[in-house]
Amino acid sequence: MSEAKNPLTAEIKKLIGVTGEKIEASPPWGIEREGLRIFTNAIMDPDPRYWDDEFAKKTRFRGIVAPPIYCSYIARKTLAGEPDPISRAFRENPNSDGIGGVREDMPGALPPIPTPLKRILNAGNEIEVYKYPTLGDHIFSQARYSDIQGRVTKDGTPMLVVTTETTYTDQNGAVLCILRQSGIRR
Amino acid sequence: MVTADELRNKAQVYFDDIEVGQDMPPLVIGPLTTTHLFRWSAAIENWHRIHYDQNFAIYHDGLPNVLGQGSWKQSILPRYLKDICLPDGWAWKVQFQHRAMIVPGDTITVWAKVTGKRKADGLGLIDMDVGMRLQPDVESCPGTATIVLPIRGGKAIPYPFVAPQGA
Repeated sequence: MSEAKNPLTAEIKKLIGVTGEKIEASPPWGIEREGLRIFTNAIMDPDPRYWDDEFAKKTRFRGIVAPPIYCSYIARKTLAGEPDPISRAFRENPNSDGIGGVREDMPGALPPIPTPLKRILNAGNEIEVYKYPTLGDHIFSQARYSDIQGRVTKDGTPMLVVTTETTYTDQNGAVLCILRQSGIRR
Repeated sequence: MVTADELRNKAQVYFDDIEVGQDMPPLVIGPLTTTHLFRWSAAIENWHRIHYDQNFAIYHDGLPNVLGQGSWKQSILPRYLKDICLPDGWAWKVQFQHRAMIVPGDTITVWAKVTGKRKADGLGLIDMDVGMRLQPDVESCPGTATIVLPIRGGKAIPYPFVAPQGA
């Protein structure tokens, strides 16, 4: 029986530090109230800083703000007028899992990791928050591979731990938050 | 669950009043239903069927039920820490792992326990263990966090937040 090799190849190592294109993550109209209403209901956060103008003006934020990492979710949305990704996915594969074929051509995406290890597990998240976006703000994001580690587990399973760091900024370049997500490939 | 008025009128917790070993007030969410999970999927347009299509989750993916989204958990911890810090503190950073799956019927207790306090650049930093505990004492999201609370008579916490040197 051959021993499993560490899957961290020289080709993969070269991806550490590779940065994706900086893209606008918000819709063309920026941060808006209806998006905040839908999102804050979904996290069950009734904080008036997200919807009550009069109250929000008196806070340290001087107006309505978005929840801490709201900006990290808005790039996934399908804009009006775009071809329907759900119809496309199920037309191509009636057994689609709802992800495959739906999220294609994600702008700003990092290059794929050249590895035969296809199963991906979320190993953990790290979040730093510096500023909350306000109504009308435009959000930009840029991802990079901040670290890639390879190893072979005690039972001989090769795995990669890929950490992706995404920085969110506003239209003035102010950093809103930094998210790091580590995924295990095995 | 906390109400809008409680958040509107929340009294500031100060660095001075926190003790190492202290449990912060928990946030209890649930019991979660498939409808809660579906609302989150729709809110962020994540159409992965394991989160709302029970037949797909069980018979296709072999899961015990539809699953609570990792992205939802990722939003809940910062939201909880934000509530602790209001009105003038800052929930600076949090890191956590994804452990036990969350399924409909689970009630989640979001918690924090103070593990240390320190000052840096005149700011009061509180280090905590955090998590999202399910009802049978199963931890779904163990991690750590650092929040910044005002020091009585100290300087205001900057907004936008600026990380203190060496912290």
